[in-house]
Amino acid sequence: MLSKSQAKVFFLVATLGFSGVFLALTFDTMRQIPEQTNSAEISESALRGRHIWDRKNCMGCHTILGEGAYYAPELTRAVERRGEEWLRIFLRDPEAMYPGRRRMIQYNFTEDEITDVIAFLEWIGNIDANGFPFDPDMAPTAAIAAAGAEAPEVLQAAPTYYRNVCQSCHAVEGFGGNTGPALDGVATRFNEAELHQWLADPQAVRPGTTMPNLNLAEDVRTELVTWLLTLD
Amino acid sequence: MHTQTNARKIAWAFFATSMLLLVLQIVYGFIMGFAHMGHDVLHDVIPFNVARATHTNLLVVWLLSGFMGSAYYIIPEEAERDIWNAKLGWIQLGSLVLVGVVAIIGFHLQWWEGRKFLEIPRPLDYLVVVNVLAFLLNIGMTLFKGNRFTTTSVTLLVGLTAAALLYLPGMIWFDNHTVDSYFRWWVVHLWVEGVWELIMGAILAYLLIKLTGVDREVIEKWLYIIVGITFLSGILGTGHHYYWIGAPKYWLMVGGIFSALEPLAFLAMALYAVAMARKGERRHPNRIALRWAVGTGIMSFVGAGFLGFAHTLPSVNKWTHGTLVTAMHGHLAFWGAYAMLIFAMIAYVLPEITGRKLYTKWRAEWSFWTSNIGMISMTGAFAVAGVAQVYLERRMGMDFLEAQEAVEVHFLALVLAACLFTTGIVLFIIDFIKYGLPQPAENVPVTSPGGDAGPGTGGAASA
Ligand code: HEC
Ligand code: HEC
Ligand code: HEM
Ligand code: HEM
Ligand SMILES: [Fe+2]
Repeated sequence: MLSKSQAKVFFLVATLGFSGVFLALTFDTMRQIPEQTNSAEISESALRGRHIWDRKNCMGCHTILGEGAYYAPELTRAVERRGEEWLRIFLRDPEAMYPGRRRMIQYNFTEDEITDVIAFLEWIGNIDANGFPFDPDMAPTAAIAAAGAEAPEVLQAAPTYYRNVCQSCHAVEGFGGNTGPALDGVATRFNEAELHQWLADPQAVRPGTTMPNLNLAEDVRTELVTWLLTLD
Repeated sequence: MHTQTNARKIAWAFFATSMLLLVLQIVYGFIMGFAHMGHDVLHDVIPFNVARATHTNLLVVWLLSGFMGSAYYIIPEEAERDIWNAKLGWIQLGSLVLVGVVAIIGFHLQWWEGRKFLEIPRPLDYLVVVNVLAFLLNIGMTLFKGNRFTTTSVTLLVGLTAAALLYLPGMIWFDNHTVDSYFRWWVVHLWVEGVWELIMGAILAYLLIKLTGVDREVIEKWLYIIVGITFLSGILGTGHHYYWIGAPKYWLMVGGIFSALEPLAFLAMALYAVAMARKGERRHPNRIALRWAVGTGIMSFVGAGFLGFAHTLPSVNKWTHGTLVTAMHGHLAFWGAYAMLIFAMIAYVLPEITGRKLYTKWRAEWSFWTSNIGMISMTGAFAVAGVAQVYLERRMGMDFLEAQEAVEVHFLALVLAACLFTTGIVLFIIDFIKYGLPQPAENVPVTSPGGDAGPGTGGAASA
């Protein structure tokens, strides 16, 4: 059996030896990280976004690259999942997009700050994280479809704004979110004027409704209404 | 001089601080438990990220305070002299409390850094550094000016010093988030799966020497072997945090292999505690302290070793990374390895410094069982929620919030288990208060003759 002094030698050799290996690997990792993380693409804006991320401690609710807290969605692929337009609307007023759900803080970001946060998240999303987050491997086909594969034909004709924003809350032919009612057959329930009124100011039509006022530009709204009227 | 009157008072004050902060930590745990259940009623005052930063930082500070209290007790006792500079000790305690209070208030005003576990803002980091330097100076001088160097006390000092050094890389700002994360783990991982294990090994060795009467040489030999295994596996084991953060792929292999060996150190710790407790022919009357000491060996294996292994291989971690499964492991690992260790130390020290023997009363027994059964049940609740989350969200692609709503009910279970756990903590603290203040060393019958080598030197208390 080992004596005490042999045990001491074992301790010293293991500690010093593996510390050395670790430092060597760290050196190599520092050489490789710039390319693997596209650090040349960290724009001024993305860096400001990182500072906002840090100052607000977003990691105290969210995970990013799987690190942080387990209270709010993983954000590594947020830009890919939601798109910039959706994220803008969300960050202006988080509760509008998730009425009555688990709450995020309303930070009252300026438009520039929102741009910065999105730039940071976009940079994160492009890091080569050895595959993380992994695509679900047991997904039923419906969930795969909802994750963005093949959309039904009616939706191919839908305005981009619908695909980017409205769809996260509304479904057509079972495709889309379920925060709001399915829009199949809306044209039979509302006429053109009613739809315009509704989209311009949902609160005025149904006080207390959880459909957000998206402050749509006139032409976007017209495009949306024209398309909605084809859903009969 | 053979009395450690000042050192004992300071150690007691650090332990008292620990207990106070633990209670606060638990309060914030409940806030988060309710938030996960869907009752985030304090959102406007204490949003989740504030509660979380407070919960985890209080944990780290109370454990550090407990380690410091242990060092203030053990090092003078082993060196056979009183603390080098008592005044410095009190100032150091005061400044630690000050940093803690300012940090906690700061968190509530969103004054922090958004870096998990290292949320304390930079200016306070500097204060922490000064504080720790004062601490190391004080116990270091005590050791060097003392009459005796022991493996146990030197290991403890080395562990504490290394912990202080490893804090530094965590203070640097890097523009690249991945690099920032890389060095954040030098603090978090190399603490809990490296130098803190060294501290744990030393404190446990001290307790086993005192409580079992097994020969110091035997115990200290095993101490070397265990901490040797710790560093052999734990240093490269850091790689299990580098799988998915944008670091090279070889970390999957390096981290996978070496972190898979880490449980061996905890297994050795458990076997060593059990074996020494059985071997010890001298029965120290403080059976509760021995139970906490053996308990910390066993529970650290379960929480850190077994539950750590459960998600450390890349093929598992690719699904569980950053889910409630991690929280499951985090709770039992911290509880088993470090919280119970400090409880063991307190359970041993209080009778020694107050001359009272409350360890024979029912409360001591019940606090051990209720807190442990409570924490195991909490771990079970996190485990069920975590595994469900992994399958629903990660593997089947359910939306995050929907999956969370599906596991809300397990947080009811968590909160109920946490009530049981808290009962145990309250019982422990009642005893802490009932023990009263430390007595001057002359007034307490000598129970620890200073433990020179050889069996039977463990507390001869009322044996
Ligand atoms: C944050 C989620 C959300 C978003 C984004 C959203 N809606 Fe809605 N929408 C709702 C909810 C909730 C209702 C139901 C309101 C009620 O009944 O009070 C609703 C109702 C509607 C209705 C009435 C449906 C019915 O049958 O009563 C229409 C039409 C509609 N939304 C269209 C849109 C369009 C077009 C967009 C994109 C410009 C959009 N919504 C974006 C949540 C949303
Ligand atoms: C108090 C906890 C909390 C904090 C702090 C927080 N969030 Fe959130 N966040 C949430 C929750 C909960 C959701 C889920 C949607 C909801 O219910 O609002 C969310 C959703 C999001 C989403 C949408 C994700 C998706 O795919 O639907 C983004 C983007 C986001 N947060 C960004 C941030 C950023 C950036 C910060 C820091 C500036 C931040 N969050 C801070 C709780 C938080
Ligand atoms: C006492 C010792 C230990 C403590 C206190 C501890 C605590 C923790 C904590 C708090 C985390 C969460 C960290 C974060 O995400 O920020 C964590 C993560 C982790 N721990 Fe431990 N741990 C210990 C030992 C171990 C051991 C021995 C292993 C492996 C065998 C292990 C494997 C892991 C893994 C793989 C993760 C990452 C989880 C993820 O990907 O989200 N841990 N640990
Ligand atoms: C008794 C009541 C307690 C409750 C209800 C509780 C609950 C929680 C909750 C809900 C989280 C947050 C998980 C998330 O991010 O969503 C958390 C985090 C954490 N708690 Fe507790 N906790 C309690 C006590 C403790 C104790 C006693 C310890 C240590 C021994 C501890 C250690 C931790 C750690 C290390 C984390 C971070 C985990 C991680 O990031 O993986 N908690 N706790
Ligand atoms: Fe680790």
